[in-house]
Amino acid sequence: MDGRVSAPPAVQTSRAPGAAFILKKALISAFVALVLFSLMIGVRTEAGPQGQLVYWTRFDDLAIMVAAVFGGSILVELLRQWWGPVDTIRVVPPSVQTALAVARRGIAPVLLVFTFLVPVLFYDERYILDLAILVLTYVMLGWGLNVVVGLAGLLDLGYVAFYAVGAYSYALLATNFGLSFWVCLPLAGILAAFWGVLLGFPVLRLRGDYLAIVTLAFGEIIRLVIINWQTLTGGPNGVTGIPRPTLFGIPLTPADDGLAALLGIEFSPTHRIVFLFYIILALALLTNWVTIRLRRLPLGRAWEALREDEVACRALGINTTTTKLTAFATGALFGGLAGAFFATRQGFISPESFTFHESALVLAIVVLGGMGSQLGVALAALAMIGGFELFRGLDQYRMLVFGMAMVLLMIWRPRGLIGHRAPTVFLKHSQAISSDLVKEGHG
Amino acid sequence: MTKPLLAIRSLRAAYGKIEALKGVDLDISAGEIVALIGANGAGKSTLMMTIFGRPRARAGRIEFAGQDITGVPTHEIARLRIAQSPEGRRIFPRMSVAENLQMGADATDSSEADRASGLERVFALFPRLKERMTQRGGTLSGGEQQMLAIGRALMSRPRLLMLDEPSLGLAPLIARQIFDAIRTLNRQDGLTVLIVEQNANHALKLAHRGYVMVNGLITLSGTGSELLQRPEIRAAYLEGGRRE
Repeated sequence: MDGRVSAPPAVQTSRAPGAAFILKKALISAFVALVLFSLMIGVRTEAGPQGQLVYWTRFDDLAIMVAAVFGGSILVELLRQWWGPVDTIRVVPPSVQTALAVARRGIAPVLLVFTFLVPVLFYDERYILDLAILVLTYVMLGWGLNVVVGLAGLLDLGYVAFYAVGAYSYALLATNFGLSFWVCLPLAGILAAFWGVLLGFPVLRLRGDYLAIVTLAFGEIIRLVIINWQTLTGGPNGVTGIPRPTLFGIPLTPADDGLAALLGIEFSPTHRIVFLFYIILALALLTNWVTIRLRRLPLGRAWEALREDEVACRALGINTTTTKLTAFATGALFGGLAGAFFATRQGFISPESFTFHESALVLAIVVLGGMGSQLGVALAALAMIGGFELFRGLDQYRMLVFGMAMVLLMIWRPRGLIGHRAPTVFLKHSQAISSDLVKEGHG
Repeated sequence: MTKPLLAIRSLRAAYGKIEALKGVDLDISAGEIVALIGANGAGKSTLMMTIFGRPRARAGRIEFAGQDITGVPTHEIARLRIAQSPEGRRIFPRMSVAENLQMGADATDSSEADRASGLERVFALFPRLKERMTQRGGTLSGGEQQMLAIGRALMSRPRLLMLDEPSLGLAPLIARQIFDAIRTLNRQDGLTVLIVEQNANHALKLAHRGYVMVNGLITLSGTGSELLQRPEIRAAYLEGGRRE
């Protein structure tokens, strides 16, 4: 991390606000903590044996919490000063800077090659393969939501709805009509995109907080409909027996017509996992490719311009209605494809998989990754899903560590892991022009 | 007499119950620079926005090149090649200068060659923008942002360019550069311009004709130099009434 190479102490002291400021901030934090925790922790209530209210106080615990907040606040403030704001020009040797720039440019291809090799490297480790599939699913969801939130700037808190639509589309089409995964996959995507447009219409005039609330409600509505429409969806029992994907009609089973038998190799359940891995990798890369392509087209540019200034967009002749609807539809399409994959991987789906928690998680991935950055979203998905697994041993403190990590990240990289936005319009002979400009500047 | 390019007849518009335009008549002929001056809240910007369909006209008629555009959606009006440099510039801050300019050309389906020549034209007018090509719009200075807003509007090769307070918040020298650029555009390309300004002196010197707006009504009109000579204009907009 480039931030580690910090400014010399002399610079720090000169820009550091005084101890009084830090103390004041810590006291305010501690006071807020006291107000919050005095009832949450300070007083413990329980139903007594006769049903009466029993309560006792835990002031020592409360004191510890408030003290922790006080100390933590000072610590964060000091760390912040030590680290400095993100944009500060640091005393970093040019050689280190160029090395970092090279590393930054190289990270995407290296990650891609590594991802392709995961099934080879970890063939015997089922756990890692499963985790990799999970991470890739979230990478795809993140990239899908990135179109809506990161590019078009439409805050969508109900993204899970499209994931659910995709999953149920595949599950119901496959179990009721016996359609194969490869037929249902585009259908699931199209259905989800249709729902995306349907959500888009009522929210055309909304933005920011209002949009967020309506999309949140939309996500819940879809889930509630799935729970209550028992005749179609099986309600809370979900859909079982969802067929597995086949390789051009060849199932990956130990049967006589299975892939292993046809190839004359010994059957192993890992074959199917590896197959699933490459399916989701292909789907995720498709999402990425389409997004990158669209960003260079007028439509993608219009999305970004819409995020920046809707009024100016309209004045430039951009139809904001269709621009918004296509953003919703494109995001939903990818959500639906990921949903169909989720259904075929699990073999069983129920409404429990599509709670608000999922929407929040995907949104967190997009925000952490840096809105609009493809690589950032991939890294954030890896960190969030992988990191979550990594800290499984911490048990109940897992969420605490997770929350801390998020807070720290938002302090030091408020624009996300990769906040930098790559331009999409280039001049044809940019080199020639830039050298011209140097002359112009001097003359 | 030839038909005006833009003809506005007894136009009314309102924000809720507050009437901002109370029956405005205004004509702009092709190749003209027309200045619209008036105090804060007179309805100048509202008039410009109403031409663009937001807020919608409550009554009256707006005709552009013989076509009725009253009630036509904003983006379709823009595609008729009426371009706007809105109040407060409204450039896209996180997008590069090049992308901002590209946005101006995206909606009017222009060919690759048109875009290239459009860029040439903008850069000839504002060489500063060429230097700043790869910079993010938000990092430009106020004057450069105004240049970018005008350049972006020019990218659609407009038949009518509408500028809302282009000199707002700019140093006098930069403001003069902007006004010079507008004059050049008009003389060389015959571009028709409607300019809304607080800076009446500059605007009226630049314009062929001017309109004065008070409380949602046009109270005076005439050639730029005529209006500059009128004592009430001098008192109200040029010398701040100090000499009375």
